[in-house]
Amino acid sequence: MDSSHAAPAAAHAPGEGHATVQTYVKVAVVLGILTAIEISALYVPGLPNGALVTLLLVFSVLKFGLVVAFFMHLRYDNKLLTALFVGPLIIAMGIIFALMALFGAYILLARG
Amino acid sequence: MAAEHAAAVHDPNIGCTGLDHRKMGMWAFLGSECMFFGSLIGTYLAYKGKSINGPGPHEILNIPLTSLSAFVLLMSSLLMVLALAAVQRNDMKWGKIWLFMTALFGAGFVGFQCYEFTHFVHLGLTLQTNLFGSTFFVLTGFHGAHVTGGVIWLLSLWVLALRGKLGPQDSLKVEICGLYWHFVDIVWIAIFTLIYLIP
Repeated sequence: MDSSHAAPAAAHAPGEGHATVQTYVKVAVVLGILTAIEISALYVPGLPNGALVTLLLVFSVLKFGLVVAFFMHLRYDNKLLTALFVGPLIIAMGIIFALMALFGAYILLARG
Repeated sequence: MAAEHAAAVHDPNIGCTGLDHRKMGMWAFLGSECMFFGSLIGTYLAYKGKSINGPGPHEILNIPLTSLSAFVLLMSSLLMVLALAAVQRNDMKWGKIWLFMTALFGAGFVGFQCYEFTHFVHLGLTLQTNLFGSTFFVLTGFHGAHVTGGVIWLLSLWVLALRGKLGPQDSLKVEICGLYWHFVDIVWIAIFTLIYLIP
């Protein structure tokens, strides 16, 4: 218990801080709007498949980035923590692309 | 400044990087979880459209219902950061409320998933039915198990807060739980787009 009492001061170096509550609410509103646009896009008649998939992927990456940067505080935290997360994330992306290439599966392009 | 530095030096949880071991450990764990879910998502996408018998995703996935559950999980992330902010400023009344609400929203998401799984089984899709069933249930099932673990963790913190054993001095405990909670949220952002939304 004693050790955890000292943690908050040590967890963030001076000058590092978290976003304000107002920022959290703004981020949540943006996340909600992005999700609403994503779902609405499914019901737009005549939208080409390539455009739809691109929009969904871009919005998904935006939402992912917003949560990681603001809610998980990586924007304000030590860069070492960013490296600890982004490194394996790149490996995970590599795994996904490698598996899809090996099995001939594609999201954007038609299967050959 | 010198006093803060001295406190950091003598804190056994602070290593040579100047960061708290527990927080670094959680980020390293989340990095490993990225690869875990990356493998499951990759497997789902690799086998997408290769089932030789139905039902397939376009026949049974309920986009409106899952959109609602995705929104619930997304908003639980907001409640989580509100809980952390309340605990950090020693507003334990709202800290308890936001912690409980986060757990409640998480439990709601698990409830949606239980309903969805049960409905799919009634429609004839099980783990053994086809490639879609196997990869879908393994991926979303593991995610649901992670959410369930997060709900238990949140409720544990809530009980500690109710008993007066959680205060601003323990905000790192809430922050680490929050990191885990936001991670299950971002995994769902990826799963929701790749499985449910992309045609």
